[in-house]
Amino acid sequence: MRKRFLLSIAGVLLLSSLLLAGCNSGDSSEGSGKVTLTFGTSQSGIPRTGIMQTMAKEYEQETGVKIDFQVVPDAQWRDLIKVKLASGEAPDIFNVDVDPLSMPANVRPEENAIDLTNEEFTGRMSEEILPTVSYKDKVYGVSFAPSKIWYVYYNKRIFEELGIQPPTSYAEFKAISQKIKDKDIIPFYQAPASGWYQVLPLFETGPNYEQSTPGTYEKLNNNEMKVADLTQLKTVIEQLKEFADLGYFGKDFLSNTVEAGIEAFGQEKAAMLLRVPGTEKEVSEAYPDMKDNMGFFVMPWGDNQTIGVNPGGSAAMFGNKNSKHPEEVLKFFRWITEHDHLQRVFDGGEGNLTICWPEIEPKLTQDYIDYEKNHEKGTVMQAAVKYIDPQWMDIGKDLSGMFAGAMTPDQILQNIDKRRAEQAKVLKDDAWQ
Amino acid sequence: MNVNKIYPWYFSSGAIVLYLLFIVAPALLGIYYSFTDWNSYSSEKNFIGLEHFRTILAGDPTYLLFIKNTVLFTLITSIAKTVLGLFLALLLVSGVKAANLHRMIIFSPQVLSFLIVGLVFKSLLDPNNGFVNVTLRSLGLDVLAQNWLGSLTWAMPSIMAVDTWKGMGYIMVLFIAGLLAIPRDYYEAASIDGAGFWQKLFRITIPMLMPTITIATVLNITYGLRVFDAVYVLTNGGPGNATDVINTAVYSSFAKGYWGLGSALSTILFVIMAIISFFIIRLMNRKVEY
Repeated sequence: MRKRFLLSIAGVLLLSSLLLAGCNSGDSSEGSGKVTLTFGTSQSGIPRTGIMQTMAKEYEQETGVKIDFQVVPDAQWRDLIKVKLASGEAPDIFNVDVDPLSMPANVRPEENAIDLTNEEFTGRMSEEILPTVSYKDKVYGVSFAPSKIWYVYYNKRIFEELGIQPPTSYAEFKAISQKIKDKDIIPFYQAPASGWYQVLPLFETGPNYEQSTPGTYEKLNNNEMKVADLTQLKTVIEQLKEFADLGYFGKDFLSNTVEAGIEAFGQEKAAMLLRVPGTEKEVSEAYPDMKDNMGFFVMPWGDNQTIGVNPGGSAAMFGNKNSKHPEEVLKFFRWITEHDHLQRVFDGGEGNLTICWPEIEPKLTQDYIDYEKNHEKGTVMQAAVKYIDPQWMDIGKDLSGMFAGAMTPDQILQNIDKRRAEQAKVLKDDAWQ
Repeated sequence: MNVNKIYPWYFSSGAIVLYLLFIVAPALLGIYYSFTDWNSYSSEKNFIGLEHFRTILAGDPTYLLFIKNTVLFTLITSIAKTVLGLFLALLLVSGVKAANLHRMIIFSPQVLSFLIVGLVFKSLLDPNNGFVNVTLRSLGLDVLAQNWLGSLTWAMPSIMAVDTWKGMGYIMVLFIAGLLAIPRDYYEAASIDGAGFWQKLFRITIPMLMPTITIATVLNITYGLRVFDAVYVLTNGGPGNATDVINTAVYSSFAKGYWGLGSALSTILFVIMAIISFFIIRLMNRKVEY
């Protein structure tokens, strides 16, 4: 009896240890000995055209190494990858939206990322992108991202019919929006349900704040001024609220998503849409009637006329330092960054007109080149001011609250400062001590 | 060794090991972490005492809103599920036609994941093209069409309604079982004495159902306090923070990498549930006399 009892206890303990071992198992090899690399990314971290997946299949045929893509909605990935990295369950390759300010905190590269400094391909990436994927003079990430610029795209036909011109100030923006609304067309497509989109006007117009009061970014980084002191930012928030109240975002726009924006714009239900260069291709492919019917202008909230450039801000690939297959990860990075493969990623994407590899010829049209020549440029606030980008989704939530009537612009600004202070404290930032 | 004393432990040892390993140990660790500054940006864990609790309970009114929302959600959905569950159960045991079919239809949402239910209702409640508003407009009732999940007024009631719809079937099944266990003799005797429907309901049915009502209440309250998926899928706590509850705040804190703070929020939820459970268990242990 006693023997059976002891045997049973031993059995229970064995079962428990097997369970624990099972929980800890993160082996990405298949039983056959074939290597599978897991690739975790947000939806917008890889081209929606599926070119990366197609190329990965070819890579598998060539090398026998399978790439298993785990694609997560944008709004969740930013948080999920942080938890996965901390729990040691991150994929072999993972995408993270990067900028030079938040990458070290979000990725903790020394602990989590494979050092790529001595790889041949790092020397071929553009100088502008390197700071966003580097930390303490070491390169950790691979990016295909272009320097990101958000323009307001507009429907030329609607503008011509109404006899209106692209605005150069907020007053003009408001006036044309009213004319469009009078024709029962949504003047500007807004998408608060996606969480992040409505935040763009606040910080993409950051160069405007910096140009009118030089040193603003530095003061904010040194905690010598508060975001709440940025009267121009408050003005932009108030103008967004005014747009919402005047119906320029349409009725019940709070449920709109970014994905549905192309449809609304392509079907001419909305006359204006905030997007990145290359939008013309994406829209006209889905809605051929829209071909040659799209123009663009810099977003005029807060009377902004400066082009905001984000040198990073998009996804970069990192190899997981704790992966069981670091050599295979490196081999994949070497393969995908070969010249011809870079060209394929660029050509097969959904319409980006530039890529952060100087060896690949950009596709910018003369319109963009001329426009950029005629306007000043500056770095967007989230890429130059600390602790803005990590709270992007929170600010999005606050703005939705403001549109719904639950918050004021002042409360939004105070919340931004509060969250900056929280993160500075966590990161033991000297300027906040 | 006294085998009779060991035998219960022998049978339950496996469950005890697993329970200690996967429930008790993480819970205790969570309580410990709530007193630290543990976060995703550093591998250090420094003891900071009650600082997180001070932030939640005294420092930031937003957290009090989350607690208030959780309590309100629990209270209203518990009452709604109990009342509707009882009503449906009474209806289905009263000899209505195709009772089993109706029972199955009403119970079926219970077996679906809230992710599916949430996505379906998100589509139904879409203010522009959703079935609810389209139907209202087609009936000329434009004034009743609302931004169900996007307005401060309607977002929380909409989540409560969807949650009640999903959960009332389960409560109904509990009540049906309770109703079928009540001896018919009581009703026959009451009928002979001239008792009407309401007298039978309040003098026989409800008192005899008290143990079931208590169980239903416990289930509803514990579910309500733990609510996460309903809010997360339907509104993600919005607009603003209008529908955020404790568990969405826990998720948000963990997601941001503020794990100590998230643990403190979980600990507060644990304490609230422990207090409520204590009182409910006391209530359950009271003898019901007729």
